[in-house]
Amino acid sequence: MADLAGANGQREHFRVVGKPNLPGKLSYALATGIAKFGIDYVVPDMLHAKFLRSPYAHARIVSVDTTRARAIPGVVDIITWEDEDIKNLKSFGENFGTPRPWLDNIADYEGAEVGVIVVAESEDICEEALRQLDVKWEVLPHIVDIMEGRKPDAPVIRPGVGSAPAMGPGGDDNPPKKGNVSYSNLISGDIEEGFKEADHIIEYRLYLPPFASHMPNPSGSVAWWYDDPYHGEGKSLHIEGAVRERRAISAMYNVPLEKTVQEGLFMGGKYCDWGLRKSQEITPLLAKRTGRPVRCVNTREETFDFLMKERYMYLKVGFKDNGLITAIDDFSIADGGARGSSTFGTSGDQRYGPYFTFRCKNIRQRMEIVDSNRGMMYVSGQHCPFNWDSGTMAIYLIAEKLKKDPIEIARINLHGPTSQDDPNPVPSFEACIERAKEVMDWNWHPAGTKKLPDGRMHGASFRYQMCPRHAFSGYESKLELRDGVVYMPTQGPVFGVYAVECNAMVVAEELGLEYEDVKIVFDYREPFTPVGGGADGTTASAWVTKECANILKQKILEAAIEEAENPPPPMFPFGLPPEPSPFKGLKPEDLDLADGKVIVKSDPSKGVPLAKAVKKHIVATYSGRPPTALWTLGFGKMLDTMNTAFCEVAVDTETGEVEILRFVVVADPGKIMRLTSLESQIDQVMYFSQGCQLLEDYVYDKRTGVKLNNNMIEYKKPTILDVPPVEREFLETRAGNAAYGASGISHSLANTHLVIIAIHNAIGVWVDPPATPDKVLKALGKA
Amino acid sequence: MSEKNTDNRGGRIDSKDLRNGVAFTHEAAQSQAAAAIKSIPSMLKDYSCPICNRTFAIYADLQHHYADEHPDAVVPVKVSFNVNGKDCEVLIEPHWTLQRTLQFRLGLTGAKQMCNHGACGSCTVIIDGRPVLSCMTLAIECEGKSIETIEGIAANPKWKPLVDAYCRWDAMQCGYCTPGFLVTAKALLDRNPDPTEEEIREALAGNICICGTYPRHSTAIMEAALKMAQGG
Repeated sequence: MADLAGANGQREHFRVVGKPNLPGKLSYALATGIAKFGIDYVVPDMLHAKFLRSPYAHARIVSVDTTRARAIPGVVDIITWEDEDIKNLKSFGENFGTPRPWLDNIADYEGAEVGVIVVAESEDICEEALRQLDVKWEVLPHIVDIMEGRKPDAPVIRPGVGSAPAMGPGGDDNPPKKGNVSYSNLISGDIEEGFKEADHIIEYRLYLPPFASHMPNPSGSVAWWYDDPYHGEGKSLHIEGAVRERRAISAMYNVPLEKTVQEGLFMGGKYCDWGLRKSQEITPLLAKRTGRPVRCVNTREETFDFLMKERYMYLKVGFKDNGLITAIDDFSIADGGARGSSTFGTSGDQRYGPYFTFRCKNIRQRMEIVDSNRGMMYVSGQHCPFNWDSGTMAIYLIAEKLKKDPIEIARINLHGPTSQDDPNPVPSFEACIERAKEVMDWNWHPAGTKKLPDGRMHGASFRYQMCPRHAFSGYESKLELRDGVVYMPTQGPVFGVYAVECNAMVVAEELGLEYEDVKIVFDYREPFTPVGGGADGTTASAWVTKECANILKQKILEAAIEEAENPPPPMFPFGLPPEPSPFKGLKPEDLDLADGKVIVKSDPSKGVPLAKAVKKHIVATYSGRPPTALWTLGFGKMLDTMNTAFCEVAVDTETGEVEILRFVVVADPGKIMRLTSLESQIDQVMYFSQGCQLLEDYVYDKRTGVKLNNNMIEYKKPTILDVPPVEREFLETRAGNAAYGASGISHSLANTHLVIIAIHNAIGVWVDPPATPDKVLKALGKA
Repeated sequence: MSEKNTDNRGGRIDSKDLRNGVAFTHEAAQSQAAAAIKSIPSMLKDYSCPICNRTFAIYADLQHHYADEHPDAVVPVKVSFNVNGKDCEVLIEPHWTLQRTLQFRLGLTGAKQMCNHGACGSCTVIIDGRPVLSCMTLAIECEGKSIETIEGIAANPKWKPLVDAYCRWDAMQCGYCTPGFLVTAKALLDRNPDPTEEEIREALAGNICICGTYPRHSTAIMEAALKMAQGG
């Protein structure tokens, strides 16, 4: 569904939208270091707070004696889980997992906040006080190896706690939880019949590596209360660092939204990790108890949550001689994580993913979700849906088996745009492939058959995804014309996708202005926020803003006619009479906006600057969302804007070293909205993909359950020297549902197996991610 | 040691300070950076006990107070250095890093705390002409030294082409690590005004951007170098 429902959805000429190199509105603040993030705030008279964190992977505090800690000079407050203030706390943050007490005496991963909070004059005193707590721990059995945790004789780490899936399919049809394992099953079609139809059956496994976003800015907040009679009785709450909307904090502390203030505009990297950390939630309570501002921030080690949890997948796929898939049997064992972890990445993946892009309808997904003490994952991630590359692998393996090009196998299996029964090709996919083959000089070869002149083995891989459309978030857009200037009020904070800028470009486009002419007003009290996903939320909010801009435009043109017919009386009734308006006798539909003027359509030379043409203050609002949400219609069952990614590697079979020679992305975002940040998003997802396939991994000490590398030295993120060239090409089929037929890009190109498949294509054996040299050599039988 | 800002205003939080940190143009950012440098407290006027908040007129009295009242606590030390051209004196605990000192004593938040282990480069400052990780540098090691932070670079119109290029090329997404990249880039351009892409990549190898903006940086730096060679 293209943007047919909105105003100017099929606009052909663009002056502003799509333009590169327009600086972000907040880029100067960011580049020069004056931008303040949550943990940057230092306010007078501020106290500091620290949580007790568990040294054990799973433990219970039997008792804690705070006497010595309280005696330390500079300690102001110590609260335990038994305090009524803590017992009454309830989080409204976006965890989406099984709720649990906000803070109790049980820690279910090493480093988890547990039991006690200390407030003191400094972080140093907090740390000393934590050392002086006399804590009696009961160490409980832990699970950091989910394959061990699923065994019948494994210790049950959460007895009495119900099944993990909160958002998963299956419901009552799922078997009851057994031991540490919850079940989430989704079956469609007739799997047995599908396998009967098959000429071939392949079986394979793939490992989804755990992956950390470890957001650049460690989570933290500072909060204080103050008298504010203008917004009703009672104290108002000021918090910085809670990020995103204030709604969650407002609800948590039962403070009206208008009395909850967060002025800061910078929330740092999110990568769809929207969950509030305890350090972001607790400061209002501590500030209330102490009567002083309180700051609580995590260290880097304390900010190392999962962006993707590990999963072992076992696939059995039946297909015909021509490569058409007839049945898919997907069994997976997924890390359920610590209690409260998001069910995105486990059962949340089952209702959307690669299989629904296939014509095959005989699909069985069975998932075991294993409770573990590995750590937390909040809400979502860049690799969502995490299981996508199980489909990429199926296509590759079928191609290998049939000695065919995987692109051809994908084409055979991909259903048409409207449903799984649609036999037509997807225009966006075909366009991407046509261009990508040229860029790649695509010449597929079977695994292990191509040697480069330098002796290394060459491998290549391909995957497709659909560009995400976003329509489940509503947006309330408001635009104002005052003294000839168009204002776009929005609340912060921003997180790096240039969503505000994209919206401003749409306003400029629709109102005949330049990007710089649209004055963005950041005000936390404004309802509009373009946040609601990454690029998909950006384009969705831009659709709403486009509608709002056209309402404002109509009002401007009507006002121009009205003021031409009935000029407002001059403030000082002397001097020369005003010039007669060129719009007199015309109708609003005779006018247009261009170059900051109201013009006559039939004679654009007759133009009056906005400030002169319209004296009145005009406000336009639009509340809504773009039409047709792909996710609500069945993710993958409709296909419009697609993207393709390719990878070429060289593998040194003597050293095991893998070099990514190039990434190539040919994507159809529907319509390019803001070119420079679109390119940058592609760089980002390929960087994420490279990291999890070649470098990044969590390492645990299985004996103690302690995570060994939650720091940026031993957890390896790619550096500028590691990243390969990313060649990007964009097509504009205008087939998306958001502004001008745009879609997002966001998660869709992030992948777990594009590089891994290329490695297999090079050396003919599988290496689980991250494919470090030792693992490559081991796979080759050389280590 | 208290981490209260030394700019003591009797506990009053000035909302103007909270809004500080938003700038839509280079000129506004430059002006805010200059203001941040201007408000760096220069000489210590009194010596406040961070544990019990008693204030002393001279440092020796604070030392005596520690001996009498807090014999087990580490006595804060005085350190003097020059930050962005301004001489200043701070009272800190000996184990404080330069990053922590810049944030909590001088109100400069451009050197960001990300990894705390010298792994990411977000806290990079320039000391005596060399890029240095301020999270791995004790403030007491900086006695008598000249320190240049991102605020100093931002306030200097000479570096406008570099800031402009970073903004034009979106060489940032969330922007948290960006000041560290810019400081490293400035140090590179100081010693090599016309770097190749390879030299830029080498220079920035110690800066990690979790948003993955790497390809943008060399583009921006080369554009800036060209503009600066042409006179800005």
